[in-house]
Amino acid sequence: MHACSNLPVFLRQSAKRSVLAALAASTLLAPVSSANAQAPGTLVFLAEDVPSGLDIDGPSIAIPTTQLGMMQLLEPLVAYEYKSAPNEDGIIMPDFTKPTGRLLESWDYDPATYKWTLHVRKNVKSCAGNTLTADDLMYTYERALNVGGAVPNAWFLMNMSGVKGFTQDVFSTDKAVAEKAKKGLGQGIRKIDDYTVEVSQETPNPLLLVNMAVTISQGVFDSKEMKAHATAADPWSYDYANNTNLPSFGPYCLDNWVKNSEIRFKANPNYYRGKAPIETAIIRKVPQGGNRISILRSGQAQLIQGMTPNQYDSLRKMPGVKVSGVTGNEGLFVVMNFNTAPFDNIKLRQAIGYAMPYQRIIDVGYSGQAKQWESVVASTYPSFVKYAPPYGYDPQKAKALLAEAGFPDGKGLEKYADKFKLTYVAEKETTLGPIVNQIRTALTAIGIPVTLDPIPQTQYGDRQIVKKDLAFAVNDQEKPIGVDTGYAMQLFFVSKAAGGLNNMMNYANADLDAQWAKARVEPDTAKRDAILADMQKTLMHDLAWLPLVEFKTQWAHSDKLSGLSWNPSNSLLLYDLHY
Amino acid sequence: MIRKFILKRLAIGALQMLGLTLAVFFLVRMLPADPVSRLVGLNASPEAYAQAQRSLGLDKPVVTQLLEYLGLGSGPGLLQGNLGTSWLTNASVVSEIGASLPTTLELLTYSFVVTLLIAIPVGVASASNPGKFVDKAVFVYGLFGGSQPEFWWGLLFVLIFFAQLNVAPAPLGMIDPLLIPPPRVTGFYTLDAVIAGDFRALIDIFHHLMLPILTMVFVLSGPVIKMARQSMIRAQASDFILYANAAGLRQSQVTRYSMRAAIAPTITLVGILYGVMLGGAVLVESVYSLGGIGQYAVRSVLAFDYPSIQGIVLVITAISLLIYLALDILYAVIDPRVVYS
Repeated sequence: MHACSNLPVFLRQSAKRSVLAALAASTLLAPVSSANAQAPGTLVFLAEDVPSGLDIDGPSIAIPTTQLGMMQLLEPLVAYEYKSAPNEDGIIMPDFTKPTGRLLESWDYDPATYKWTLHVRKNVKSCAGNTLTADDLMYTYERALNVGGAVPNAWFLMNMSGVKGFTQDVFSTDKAVAEKAKKGLGQGIRKIDDYTVEVSQETPNPLLLVNMAVTISQGVFDSKEMKAHATAADPWSYDYANNTNLPSFGPYCLDNWVKNSEIRFKANPNYYRGKAPIETAIIRKVPQGGNRISILRSGQAQLIQGMTPNQYDSLRKMPGVKVSGVTGNEGLFVVMNFNTAPFDNIKLRQAIGYAMPYQRIIDVGYSGQAKQWESVVASTYPSFVKYAPPYGYDPQKAKALLAEAGFPDGKGLEKYADKFKLTYVAEKETTLGPIVNQIRTALTAIGIPVTLDPIPQTQYGDRQIVKKDLAFAVNDQEKPIGVDTGYAMQLFFVSKAAGGLNNMMNYANADLDAQWAKARVEPDTAKRDAILADMQKTLMHDLAWLPLVEFKTQWAHSDKLSGLSWNPSNSLLLYDLHY
Repeated sequence: MIRKFILKRLAIGALQMLGLTLAVFFLVRMLPADPVSRLVGLNASPEAYAQAQRSLGLDKPVVTQLLEYLGLGSGPGLLQGNLGTSWLTNASVVSEIGASLPTTLELLTYSFVVTLLIAIPVGVASASNPGKFVDKAVFVYGLFGGSQPEFWWGLLFVLIFFAQLNVAPAPLGMIDPLLIPPPRVTGFYTLDAVIAGDFRALIDIFHHLMLPILTMVFVLSGPVIKMARQSMIRAQASDFILYANAAGLRQSQVTRYSMRAAIAPTITLVGILYGVMLGGAVLVESVYSLGGIGQYAVRSVLAFDYPSIQGIVLVITAISLLIYLALDILYAVIDPRVVYS
């Protein structure tokens, strides 16, 4: 009062107005709705972002939050049966040895002609109420062959599967050649009747079945809806799928989508496996991890993702919150580039393999939610073979190998100091920072001089994928979504000349290439597995990349929410969730 | 006279925009990474890379790309009001900016209105009562409050008012996720709620804006109070105020005269801050999940989304230039000594 009485008259009036404003503000402070309480049948899921697009060939297909949205709308042709018992955290796990039909009721394969007959499930309806027929598959495949999207993802998996007609000609700069190739579906895929489609392969290739289970690239469009939104300029409705909707036969339908803010799904009333237990699912963008935790704790959200291992660890102790995780297909490894001396020296690579503080990385980097990675493919994938004897933390052995490599106690490595800059993604500093420091300490102890080199994600991607000039780096973001050990090895280790795609270490081994060429067309599973096992052994001996740990993919959620299941895209299927 | 001044300023502004367009176009292309590699993350075959490169138009010479961007090539471009298509979402940049800009403008406008309502009276009171409570409080606030970054205050307010006291809503954007947003007409949530007559949504939107505005006001008030105080002290020391006092005018009338003289620099500062905060509010947007232009800018830069980056820079610059022009006109209205010639 004293201070106020000293104010000029007009300011005193202003002070009175301020009191009124404060009263108005206090009205706002009172919660205005019952939104704090969990609405029955509703799920609020907080993520780092929401889908930037929904087209399977769209420019944002590589972004995990985009895939999360697509997984709810699309339905695959084939999936995997769930195992009878969940994992130690209660997550339901797929059994990759038991593919099961989804939009396909069944399929036949004729080994003599390399022809697959796909029997389309009857009485399946889309969100728009359209009935699934062979025409929807044909439309989806024709669209894949058209490669008109920014990233020809659907074409890529058909090409990997050796389907006739899916050739590189579609990319020809000669327009006539490209146009002819884009009309080549008749060579490889034919509609037999309304519920039967025939797919022909150039050679026997088991990847077709594996790839049909990859929802985000082989999900089937509701062709009637897509065609209804086609325009003369955009006959394949890329714009519609990227910006408006992804019409399909999945468990959820799009209700509302505001890019950069939220995406809202309603359970598909026509879903052939039964309507989802959760009627409304809202994925909301909350960029700050700390805020996602606060909101989950308040009960206004029931599920969050994208936290650091330490944050998950702290959430584990909180009442009403459960953290569920799965050692699925995410791993941390070290890239050592064969094109950069001294990393072309196998003994030096092995010395580094034995100098790695695996347990410290698990404890410090992942709060114990990881395990040592003992091959170059995910341990959950079929045909995974553990390397024996495993690399372990053994500084004495590392020193001996370093001496054998010609660098006793690290002498001679000084001239390679700039090659021992350990590169990692700067945006992942919170998780990777402690890990790279552990690695630096361990390598310095045996005489290898390491410095740290955090760089932006996009620059890292450019150097990994395009320039392939990362000399020494850690990487935690490669996960083949096609569940096949051979596919994973082709992706990362086969040389470019032999069809390798993301061989970031420039590893070239003619024997390995020859083995893959053989395994790729080997119809006998036992023989194929034997070749794949031998390839893994070679890669681990050479440490084509140095696998460190397989870490858990985790989510934190209300302890009332259950039914979490895992699939190789690492995107939760909201259909499986229930209270 | 004023019309000539405005036309001249608009012409200069157009030249500035052209220079900026060219600078931004070439500068983003000098960034040390290839946007194509981000696109082909899942599928890195050389054919896929070439396809992605073609889809972005990056296989063409830079001059051709520039002509296309300006609208002097085969399709519509900047001159036709087309800012291009986002490489990340495949949506038009105009529509994306149209979706995110109103959120930031709404946040900033309310924040600056509240800031002015608080900061000017406080600054005036501080200048009128040197060494007294208000003046000391302003000094302490200047040392402590105004010197902390806005994201820190934002997180602190979330912790106190949402997590501890439970009087503020969760930082979940402009509206409760369980409420249906008002139909989009202007893009401004509060205006759209009024147009729709949805007052439940309107209250909820203000409820959600409460903490972001508080955070902005807390940070912005520092320089505005300081400017108001200094300008007021300078005005009070001027000859015409001494004369007014000597003539025996009432204190309130003298204060009003002083304020009129002091308000112009303060308004200028607010205008400049508004332009700066268009992009600078990103941290507050991020803390409160508001999805404004700042967040859109950050996302675009991280994705090397050239068309979006170029569009954002142009739009923010255009708004800033318009604000500065409006300020200059306002200056003449407030201060009769200002004459445009």
